[in-house]
Amino acid sequence: MLSTEPSEAEEDEEELEEEPAEAPTTQMRAVVPEIETPPTPPRVRKIDFVSKRNWYFLFSLLIIIPGIFFMAHSGFKLGIDFAGGTEFTVNFPSRPSQAQVEAAVASENAGGSVISTGNGGYIIRTLPLTPALQRGFEDDIRSKVGPYDLQQVLEVGGTIAGETIRLALFSVFLAAIVILGLLTFWFRNVPGGWRAGFQFGGSALAALLHDVFLLTGVFAILGTGLNLRIGEINSLFVTAVLTVVGFSVHDTIVVFDRIRENLRVSQRLSFEQVVNISIMQTLVRSIITSFTVVLVLVAILVSGGDTLKGFALALLIGIVSGTYSSIFNAAPLLVVWRRLQPLR
Amino acid sequence: MQLVLSWPVRLLIIGLLLFSLFVDGAGYWYRIANHYPLTGNVAGLPPNFGGWQLYFHKGLDLAGGTHIDYQLTNFPVGQSRADVQQKTITVIAKRVNSLGVSEPEIRGAGTNNDRITVDLAGVTADQAQKVIGAVNKLVYTRWVPDAKVTAGPEAGYKPEFTGLTGDDISSATAVIDQSGIGWVVNIQFSSHGADLFSNLTTANVAACPGDPNTSVSANCAQRHLTIWLDLTQHDIDNWEDQTYVSKVSQNYDTGCLATATPTTVCPKLLVDAVTLQAITGGNAVISGGGASGFTQQAAQDLATGITAGSLPVDLQVLSVQQVGSTLGAESVKLSIAAGLLGLSIVVLFMIIYYRVPGFLASLALLFYAGVVFATFKVVPVTLTLAGITGFILSVGMAVDANVLIFERFKEEVRAGRTIPAAVDAAVRRAWPAIWNSNVSTIFTSLILAGVGPNAVKGFAITLLIGVLASLISSIIVTHNLLAIVMAGGRLRRPFLMGVDRVRST
Repeated sequence: MLSTEPSEAEEDEEELEEEPAEAPTTQMRAVVPEIETPPTPPRVRKIDFVSKRNWYFLFSLLIIIPGIFFMAHSGFKLGIDFAGGTEFTVNFPSRPSQAQVEAAVASENAGGSVISTGNGGYIIRTLPLTPALQRGFEDDIRSKVGPYDLQQVLEVGGTIAGETIRLALFSVFLAAIVILGLLTFWFRNVPGGWRAGFQFGGSALAALLHDVFLLTGVFAILGTGLNLRIGEINSLFVTAVLTVVGFSVHDTIVVFDRIRENLRVSQRLSFEQVVNISIMQTLVRSIITSFTVVLVLVAILVSGGDTLKGFALALLIGIVSGTYSSIFNAAPLLVVWRRLQPLR
Repeated sequence: MQLVLSWPVRLLIIGLLLFSLFVDGAGYWYRIANHYPLTGNVAGLPPNFGGWQLYFHKGLDLAGGTHIDYQLTNFPVGQSRADVQQKTITVIAKRVNSLGVSEPEIRGAGTNNDRITVDLAGVTADQAQKVIGAVNKLVYTRWVPDAKVTAGPEAGYKPEFTGLTGDDISSATAVIDQSGIGWVVNIQFSSHGADLFSNLTTANVAACPGDPNTSVSANCAQRHLTIWLDLTQHDIDNWEDQTYVSKVSQNYDTGCLATATPTTVCPKLLVDAVTLQAITGGNAVISGGGASGFTQQAAQDLATGITAGSLPVDLQVLSVQQVGSTLGAESVKLSIAAGLLGLSIVVLFMIIYYRVPGFLASLALLFYAGVVFATFKVVPVTLTLAGITGFILSVGMAVDANVLIFERFKEEVRAGRTIPAAVDAAVRRAWPAIWNSNVSTIFTSLILAGVGPNAVKGFAITLLIGVLASLISSIIVTHNLLAIVMAGGRLRRPFLMGVDRVRST
């Protein structure tokens, strides 16, 4: 057994000597001085997570596979900063009907589309317009539909998308390698050494990729499958994906750390049992942490501005997925990997 | 974990707290007392450390304004791309100055030094593009007799193009003259320009020899060379029109030139100088004449005018984003509301669920928010909508470490430890998970800030600051507060600690 802190490990080892079932002996040790008292293992309600692992994998695949299908089949619905073109966000105090605005835009022959945001607010998208053409376009719309308040104009040539996505993929790739390396290094001191560390790192990486594919897949479905505007991908979406990468690993590490601790102090339990206990011990924490973040994101999703909604939704999906994958995918995957490649 | 409870660490935290309170609060105190606006840059307003203004730097999506990405093409051969990019940025900065934007941000981007991004608050995309994209062509003219000309710098003469243009100038800089009193502008010509300039100045001197400083007859119009911006043949054709000429011959105005319609007459004169001697080396000095010469400002303006005349590259617009100021203000309101809502949800939840420890964690959370805001102001971090969301998210992260400790604490109590011992064990055992998970997040945000797409970098930096501050607040602050409460004893009761059963106290 490898351990960096042998003294603590010894003390802890006693704790799990009398593992779960004989819990009621607790009260007997009430008078023993604290330091020498080996605390009994925590009494946690037993849920067998690990044995149902194939169901969890199946559940993930049920979302990811259709997502990948949509990604491959029809790609993403691109936001203006990826698709290229000019986008006007305007507000008509006169509240014209969508048909009126559409007619005016259509007469401009600039390949326009019109999206209503309610209360006289419209988003008008056209082909890329030069400043002079833009002014002409705005003047025409004003004269045909009525005066408006110009809230935002976005004009994109279309070459940024490639670079943003290339850099994003590169960062995910780099982050994946660094995370694999870090986890392998951190977890090299569990029984099994470096190879065990690599299993931990690899499982965390798999959970990370799960989250990335699930998030992008869901957005592909929302965007091109259901044709919803919230499913558009833009540079904020890329930000969300990259954030989720960080959060996903954060969650996984908390579970894995508990597994390592329990592995060190107990050699009587099977690997599966250790993983199961560790999941249960960290379950409350995982739920509470995600719950607080989810509450905040829901607040943004409901009350936040139009620009932030897609971003908040992406983060929401990613964080729920990150928590799910650390509990239901990463840890069970570790068990599967151990079975295929036993280390002790 | 003893280190965390030691006095040096505590003093450090108290220092950090005081500093944050000062940075967060002092500025507002002074602003309120002296009736300054509460947000934004106010020149010369304390607290001002070495020129730092402590306030939130709002990104364009919050402040309203224009963001433009330019692609640089047609790089001149034989010069380093980074230098050319830098030179272009300088030229753009000078042009933008005429718009009077506070804190314009002009940055180089692109893996190949081939992009420039421009952020201008409170300017429409239209204005910005006109001024930046304006091609002000600098031309040199000499003077030829025309009896009908009655106005302009040289009555009785009209200008004639010499073939010398801004393309032939490699640099123009304002420097202190040799006597050390006045300011002059040094112009350096390219080799082609040097030859032309040498011929022109030789012809100048031959037109009326002598020393123009002492002899009036030596200062004839033919001995003058004049620099204009955007002077056209059409202008010269109208030189006999008195009102036209007096307008054109005023000091140039880039704003007018940028927004001109074909019928507008803009001032175009840069400088009209007499040639003292034939200049053959390709280095000319323009001095102000008279006893004192140029002021520093005048010399710099002239140098700016000469270099800003030509961009070394072609600018191609990649993307433009214009955000109206009302939308920006709306976004600020919404994100502050979302932030406050998020913070209060977390605080309420922590207090109800964890009781006294939760309350202490909430205090630590306030400390965390204070430190993060102070850091945003000091660095300074430009806050965007995504950045604010990053901060709100990091509140969740900041709580996470506390949740880990408190859950562990409950476990330890259930396992039969006394409350003080359980606190100690919980902090000690939760530490590896907290450390590892946060270090991995730090690495990810470093990667994003380093090599990520531009849109993500600002967000990654806010996340990084958030994670670092949350490590300090959750580990050091919460633990110290807990230790103080433990020492008191009064609050150690199981109910207040959020646990239902304990062996002994």
